[in-house]
Amino acid sequence: MSGSRLAVTWRMMALAFVLPLLLILAIEITLSSGIEGFDGDEAFTRFANATLTSYTLLSLLLLGNLFFYGESRNRPLAPLVGMFCASLLGVAATFFFINQGPMLLEDNGSAQAQAIYNIVHTLVSAGAVAFAVCVSLGSMFSAITSQKRRINFTFEEE
Amino acid sequence: MNIHTVRGIMDEMLQALLLFWLPVAVVPFGVWIFLSSSNDQRKTFGRFLAFVGIVMVCTSPWTVPSSPSTAAGHLLGAIIGPAVLILLGIYLISFSGHVPVGRLPRSDRKLGIFVSLVGFAWFAGMHWWILTPQIASGKVNDYWFVFWPTFLLLTSCLSSCAAIASLTIGDNRKTESNYMFMLSGLGFLMILLGLNVDGPLITTDDFREHLWLSVADLAGIAAGGLLSVMVFALVIFVYEKTLPSPVKIEAPQTAELEQVANVIASHIGGGVE
Repeated sequence: MSGSRLAVTWRMMALAFVLPLLLILAIEITLSSGIEGFDGDEAFTRFANATLTSYTLLSLLLLGNLFFYGESRNRPLAPLVGMFCASLLGVAATFFFINQGPMLLEDNGSAQAQAIYNIVHTLVSAGAVAFAVCVSLGSMFSAITSQKRRINFTFEEE
Repeated sequence: MNIHTVRGIMDEMLQALLLFWLPVAVVPFGVWIFLSSSNDQRKTFGRFLAFVGIVMVCTSPWTVPSSPSTAAGHLLGAIIGPAVLILLGIYLISFSGHVPVGRLPRSDRKLGIFVSLVGFAWFAGMHWWILTPQIASGKVNDYWFVFWPTFLLLTSCLSSCAAIASLTIGDNRKTESNYMFMLSGLGFLMILLGLNVDGPLITTDDFREHLWLSVADLAGIAAGGLLSVMVFALVIFVYEKTLPSPVKIEAPQTAELEQVANVIASHIGGGVE
């Protein structure tokens, strides 16, 4: 596949990914002359909390991964310390921004309660994401295996 | 000692730690032991640990009623049935088709389709019928509002992307692409229904509000995840760059090259049995 064709394919796939959301937005805007039920402040709070929490949780997961990566290299300390600092930065940034006031506090009374809520919320969202990925990939696989068997190679007669 | 006495002794945070957060941590730990062990006994132990963790998380709304986080355990208990049915159905459909290994009887395909449809109907019943996960009578579990729109939206988006991918990258995959468009359409239709048809406990306004929040959630998870992967790559890159370059070795001698050529020729010739 040539470079330009590949770029077009990726663009089409990206467009196909956002197409259902764009269609819903278009229908909503057409029917209600605006995005009904959308609260910009609340959405930003949710976005910021999700970004901070997913960064921190994934950093911790990758820190564990790095521990095993070092196994084949006499377990060097430098990358472990580097990733540990990156994870700590996530934790510190989360508490710093939550403590700044009501900006990132949702319906929770304290920074600690908000942080715990963020973790549970992200776990539930990640569960939904994982389930959606399983259903989509599994359906694609089942669609492929349900078709007639293909012969991809022609063998030369001996 | 009964559970009420234990509750009296432990304070609420310790209860939440022991009866909710510890089991939450035990689940991936058990899965990790199961996947990484070659020993059968360890595999069984890992499976047991993960199972006990899931059971304890699912029962946490009753064992730690004071912690709001346990609503997630309640949700897990509520969705585990339809989720397993859908995944089991997909497994049956996939492996009753043309697969080289682990092939199931052809009749399992119909069973798979039936089981998947029951799973989807069960999920739909959680929105538009009496099956909605309720943390107390008449009070919908808040995490259901997080799970359901996120799942529907992402399934619709991913299926649409997979349909286009099979058309553009795949070779003559029009039928498969149509199936994926149908799945994407099903997710899309359920979102539209959620935006326009009230359930007994979930109104269209509730669903609409949480749908936009789920978009913000997905964008946030993608941004945070990407940032974390970039930091991880940067840490590895910086470390690898500081390593001394490997010791250079001499180029192979002519005799060595000949020996290698002979070995390769003896393997790719195909003339000798």
